[in-house]
Amino acid sequence: MRTILNKKTVFWLLLSIPAVLMLSGYWRGTIDSMDMLHPTGEWSARLMIIAMMLGPLAAVIGPRPWLKWLLFRRRALGVGAFAYAVLHLIFYMVDMGNLDDMLAEWTMPGIWTGWAAMLVFVPIALTSNDAAMRALKANWKSVQRLVYAAALLTLLHWFWVHNSYQAAIIHFAPLILLWVVIFAKSVFSPKVQSKGI
Amino acid sequence: MRILSLSILTAAAALGFASTPASATGAIKCKSGPVSGWKSQDTLKAKLVKEGWVVRKAKVDGGCYEVYGTTPQGDRVEAYFHPVSLEKLYVAKRGKVLFRKEGY
Repeated sequence: MRTILNKKTVFWLLLSIPAVLMLSGYWRGTIDSMDMLHPTGEWSARLMIIAMMLGPLAAVIGPRPWLKWLLFRRRALGVGAFAYAVLHLIFYMVDMGNLDDMLAEWTMPGIWTGWAAMLVFVPIALTSNDAAMRALKANWKSVQRLVYAAALLTLLHWFWVHNSYQAAIIHFAPLILLWVVIFAKSVFSPKVQSKGI
Repeated sequence: MRILSLSILTAAAALGFASTPASATGAIKCKSGPVSGWKSQDTLKAKLVKEGWVVRKAKVDGGCYEVYGTTPQGDRVEAYFHPVSLEKLYVAKRGKVLFRKEGY
């Protein structure tokens, strides 16, 4: 049982549960395309934030078995975030219904930031596989680091399209806090300071 | 150090969540009195359709009627109306405020 649960496929299935629930609601007609936008976007951001938190969390609290378990599945979290972003974009298109309406509003702060985040997400997702890792060698890390730009654009997109900061900040707060702790540790840690001198 | 970091993190996170109001939605609030005095959502919808709106969804939010739809000008908006007077109070397109009645 434990071996089955630890399979990566099971983790993928777990990540797809919210999507399955949302899509079944949409097909049954209980959720309208407009109401698919918020949850798909929120799940995309959630998974991205969790994936981004694992490294800093390991740096702050040290190695833990559960953290190792999650780090082993970080790629699934990242690709999952991308998949939810794709769903988010698809339902935006379905909801808008035509290209003219989308073109008419793309310059709005809340909209272009979403498009930009999606564009930045593409190369990260396309290189989230072993073959790309081998081919790109040291450059692979630089491509994956684009996620910081994607995160910033996502935060701005959320902030502007909602015209309220609470929900976006609640989601991003744990990640930002981790960065603050790491920064504080690097400033106050005597080891690092002695290295500097 | 680890325990310290962890407790700082937990405390900060708790503080962050506690200081955020639970209901973050609702762009504006209406002092609209008892529901018995309100006009119906259907009356508002009919009024808007007559004015050239396309109404997709209407609900109660913050004591106001909140409507999702397209204005006669073709903007996809989220709009708030007073449930007693049905007066337009607030209109926003993709988070950008297009109209806000003074005092709201």
